[in-house]
Amino acid sequence: MPPSPFKITLLISILSIAIALTLIWGTAQTAPNLIHYSTLSNDPYIKVESINVTPNGVYIRLAVINNGTPLVFRPTGGWVEVVDTGQSINVTMTNGTVIAKLPLMPQWTSLASVGVKGIVSGVLNGSRAYIAFFDVAPIHVINTIGIADVSYADCVLNVTLSVDTVVPVVIGPIINMSLFTVSTPGYYVFETIGIVNTTVYAPAGSHNVTLTIQVSPALGRYTYVYSCNYLSGFSKYTLWLPIGVTYMYPTGNVTSYTLLTKTFVVGGGS
Amino acid sequence: MRVEALLQFALAIAFIVLWVFMPAWSISGANYSISLTPWGYVVRFFGETHVIPPPTVYAVWLFALDAGLLPLVWRRSRYSLYLATLFSVLSLSMLMDTILFQQRYLQFHGYTIAPTPTGYIYVLLSTKPVLGLPTYILLALTILSIFNMATRARWLGTRVIEDPIVAVERVLKVLHIEYSRIEGGVKVGGIKIIRRDDSLLLVNEHRIDEVDLGTAITEAVKVGLKQPVSVGVVDYGED
Repeated sequence: MPPSPFKITLLISILSIAIALTLIWGTAQTAPNLIHYSTLSNDPYIKVESINVTPNGVYIRLAVINNGTPLVFRPTGGWVEVVDTGQSINVTMTNGTVIAKLPLMPQWTSLASVGVKGIVSGVLNGSRAYIAFFDVAPIHVINTIGIADVSYADCVLNVTLSVDTVVPVVIGPIINMSLFTVSTPGYYVFETIGIVNTTVYAPAGSHNVTLTIQVSPALGRYTYVYSCNYLSGFSKYTLWLPIGVTYMYPTGNVTSYTLLTKTFVVGGGS
Repeated sequence: MRVEALLQFALAIAFIVLWVFMPAWSISGANYSISLTPWGYVVRFFGETHVIPPPTVYAVWLFALDAGLLPLVWRRSRYSLYLATLFSVLSLSMLMDTILFQQRYLQFHGYTIAPTPTGYIYVLLSTKPVLGLPTYILLALTILSIFNMATRARWLGTRVIEDPIVAVERVLKVLHIEYSRIEGGVKVGGIKIIRRDDSLLLVNEHRIDEVDLGTAITEAVKVGLKQPVSVGVVDYGED
C-alpha cells in the first residue's frame, strides 16, 4: 500500500513552509552583510578661483574642481556670501564660469583674504545637484592707471591720466620722462628730464586727472630739451612716463613706480 | 495530461524565463536604480553596479517551478494540485518578502550626500518604483493554480470523442477495467468490440452483432465488472 496522497501532501507542505520561513529568517539575519554602502568618489566641488577688487565692484570667480572625472557637473545658478563683509548675492554664469559680482565696500581695501561660502546648483550627470562650499581666498586689488591723452605746446606738456583705483592715489613724481618721434631714425623732442615734482591727487574710483608739466632746461642739470613744440614733419610720437604712484590704503600708504607709455598721433596725418 | 495543467506549467516557465530578461520589481532613475532579477537585486549607482542576493529570491523561482512541474509529474491524486497551489502561493510570498527586503534594507530616499574638500555635494536622485511583467505572470500562475485546484484541472470541459472505440476505452479506464487493445478495437474478457466503418461489432464466442455505442459500452462493462478490481491511472481522479 503506497503512502496516502494526503500524507505526502501534508509532509511536503510542512517541509516547504518550513523552508520558506527559514529563508525569510535567514535573509533578515544576513541582510546587514549583504548590503553594500556606496558613496560618490571624486565628486566635483567648488573652490574660489580668484577675488578681484576693482573700482567697479568685487568679482568672485568660482571654479568647479573634479569636473568630468568622471562626474560631469553643469552649474546653473546659486549664491555666495562673503563672511567678512556680510555681503551675499546670486551668481551668474558667464561662458561656463561661475562669477559673483558684489558692490565694492570700504572694508575690501583693508582685507587681505576673505571667507566665501555659498551653494552652486546645477546638473550632475543628468541629476539635479547642489554643491555647498566654504573657502578662504586672497584678494587681488586691481588698480589701473593709464595715459588717456597727451598734448605738448610751448614747452608745456599736458598729460591726461585715466585713474581706476580702489583707494585714493597721489600720482607723482615723474622721473626721467622722454618724448620722441616714432620714425626711423627717431628724434627726441625732450629726453631724460630728471625729477619733476608735480603731484596730483585722485580719489577712489574712475577719474581722469591732468598733469601739467613745464618742460624747460631749468628743471635739471642734465636735461635735453630739443624743442618746445612738436617737430615739424613728424606727427607720430611716443611718451615715456616713469612715474611714482602712492596708494592710500587704510592700513598705510604704498608707493610703487610704474612706466606709463603712450603712442599718439598729432594733427590729421601720420 | 490535462491542458489546464500544461497551461500552469507554461505560465511557470514563462515567469522564470521572462524574469531573466526583465526585472520583476524595480526602482528606476537616471543615476540610481534597483532591479530585482532571479539572482538578486542589481543596484546601479553612478556607473557602479552591485548585486545584492537575498536568499529568498532563489525560493521565488524554485517554488514557481515546482508549482508548474508538480501537476505534470504527480498526476494520480488531486493533492498534487493542492500542493502546486501551495507552491505558487509560497512563490508569491517569497517575492513579496524579497520586495520587503528592499524596503527594509535597500531603502532609498531619493538623494545622496557626499563630502567634498570644501563642503558637500547633495544630489537629487528621483526614482520611480515599477512592478514588472514577470510579477503579473506569477500572479496569474497563482490564480490559475487555485482555479485548477478548485476544478481538479477540468475547467476547459470534456473533449469531444469522435472514435467510439476511444469512448469505450475511456469508460473502461475510469472503471479500472482491464482491457487489451486489438486491431480495430478492444478486447475485454471474452468479448471484442471492433469498429467497422461507421458501425460497431460486438464479437463473443458464439456470434457477431452490430450494436450501437451505448450497448457496446454496457456489454464491455458487464464483462469487465466480473474481473477482480485493479487500480488504473486517472488524472487527478483520486481523493
